[in-house]
Amino acid sequence: MTRPRGGFGIVAVLVATALVAAACGGGGSDQSAEGGSGDSSGAAGEVNISGSSTVEPVSVRVAELFESVNPDVIVNVDGPGTGDGFVLFCDGETDISDASRAIKDSEAQNCASNGVDYLELKIGIDGLAVMTGPGNPLECLNLADLYALTGPESTGFTNWTDAQALAAELGSDTVFPDARLDIFGPGEESGTFDTFVEFVIDGTAEARGRDGTTRPDYNANADDNVIVQGVESSDTSLGWVGFAFAANAPDVKLLRIDGGDGNCVAPTAETIASGEYPLSRPLFIYPNTARVASNPGVKAYVDFYMGEGMDEAVAEVGYVPLSDEARAETRAAWQATS
Amino acid sequence: MVGILDSRTRDRVEVRLNTRRRDLRGTVFVAALQFALLLALLVLTVLLVDAVRDGWGILGSRLGSFLSGTLRSGSADPTLGVHQGLVGTFWLAVFVATLAFPVGIGAAVYLVEYAPDNRFTRFVELNIRNLAGVPSVVYGLLGLFLFVKGLDGFTGGRTLASAGLTLAILVMPIVVITASEAIRAVPAGYSEAALGLGATRWDAIRTQVLPAAAPGILTGTLLSMSRAVGEAAPLILVGAVTGRLGRNPGLLDTDQITSKFTAMPIVITQWVKNSGRDQGFSTAAAAAIVVLLVFVLALNSVAIVLRNRFESRSR
Repeated sequence: MTRPRGGFGIVAVLVATALVAAACGGGGSDQSAEGGSGDSSGAAGEVNISGSSTVEPVSVRVAELFESVNPDVIVNVDGPGTGDGFVLFCDGETDISDASRAIKDSEAQNCASNGVDYLELKIGIDGLAVMTGPGNPLECLNLADLYALTGPESTGFTNWTDAQALAAELGSDTVFPDARLDIFGPGEESGTFDTFVEFVIDGTAEARGRDGTTRPDYNANADDNVIVQGVESSDTSLGWVGFAFAANAPDVKLLRIDGGDGNCVAPTAETIASGEYPLSRPLFIYPNTARVASNPGVKAYVDFYMGEGMDEAVAEVGYVPLSDEARAETRAAWQATS
Repeated sequence: MVGILDSRTRDRVEVRLNTRRRDLRGTVFVAALQFALLLALLVLTVLLVDAVRDGWGILGSRLGSFLSGTLRSGSADPTLGVHQGLVGTFWLAVFVATLAFPVGIGAAVYLVEYAPDNRFTRFVELNIRNLAGVPSVVYGLLGLFLFVKGLDGFTGGRTLASAGLTLAILVMPIVVITASEAIRAVPAGYSEAALGLGATRWDAIRTQVLPAAAPGILTGTLLSMSRAVGEAAPLILVGAVTGRLGRNPGLLDTDQITSKFTAMPIVITQWVKNSGRDQGFSTAAAAAIVVLLVFVLALNSVAIVLRNRFESRSR
């Protein structure tokens, strides 16, 4: 007799919990008509941006500059990563997606199947910097070396010389030091990881019938500071981060990169803007075209972004502004649809 | 006496009784305990001093604008500040206090005073203990699917309401456990005496058990509140904003409950991250840590004052 009653008592407590939770949540939503999506807002407008943590500070800076011109538009910016950003964007949760690479086919299909149309607007360029410790005699690496040191076939290599044979097989004549190899880089969720794989690994891996990914056994971290600190900690380390981060790190050595023509190019603002440096990547924003049409806030914000906002913000954050032709192209793409 | 103990034992006892005792082991033990206490205090002091020193560049010069400022892209911006994070954290604390505490304490009273001692009750108690040990990220996932996606009609999606409900659920097991321990610790004589005088069960609990258990219950709620206020992982999953929050609402503005939000732990992690491209953010992060510490201490001191009142009343 007592046993079932005890059970009902517990259930009653649980039901009460749920009711209290629901009642409170309900009361909350009554107080504001504003929902999660931005398209319900009127003239004032709310713009929700998510995506690449690399582009995040640019979009934030543009929003700050925009605020002084148009204080009625509320701009929220988040930076979980390019991939996560596109998931939200294609679900219609955000109005603009920041990206440190072009949208992937699978992501484009996801957007298409949800009826989300978008524009691709290039806003600046970021270089990938390959770094080592300050005491490393090495000056320049080519793409074959990087594949041999970090690609899928390098799993288990703990000394630079372990990769020597593979590099030679791929046609490189770089001589690696006989020293411990500690690798630091961004994790798979990062746009920087995707760009590195695309630049360094994909081509060779495909030709050799391997998966287009890095070796799994390196120190992966989402925080660029941690990667830079890791590289600083040892003379024979190897790591890669965005140029903006590496350029501000005093105690790492930026390696010059040979893109395949035998010419070693150091990463600088000039070589990245000109495209001469092989490991550079474009930065994008992807506005949802339906939201541009329905939400005046989104249109005004992107207008400002394409106008004076872009170059100032890109330079202030530490990326490389677009060349004049590329900027004209981006503006033309925006004007054609608005 | 003489017949029971042999002479050697008697001598030994006599020596023990007549000389000053030198309890070496006891002395060492006390010293070790004092050292442990000292070490714990030292770590805390180093942490505090370090944070205050790192953050002094902001705390010493522009504390006012830092407390009213917002998330910005550059650390040199004079309007950079923690207001949005502080307000978000305040509301999260309100959610925890109004949801987790009453429900958790209610569940504890039921489990200890009313629930029959059978296998089902023990099963429930065991599960609550396990829930208290579940990593907070898991609660973040629960919040994402239940409150952000499932109940977005109520909560508005990635809003303060979703985060507050998630944190309330996160700390509820801790509240239940600490409250039921406190209630169990009340001598049975208290309620038996009340029942013997003709009080009902509820009267006995209300007038005898709960007041006597209140100091213990408050200690538990204090601990769980500190935990809730310091959590970052579940908030990231529920969608706390990291880069820029357009609005900067006042402390008591209830509209923000269904708006996007941020919170102090999120602000701190973001600024530590930002310090990679902008060194000045490390000062801002340290200053934000000090602000969060002061906020938690203020919350705790309220609970301590309440506890002392209950303690003196129940004596």
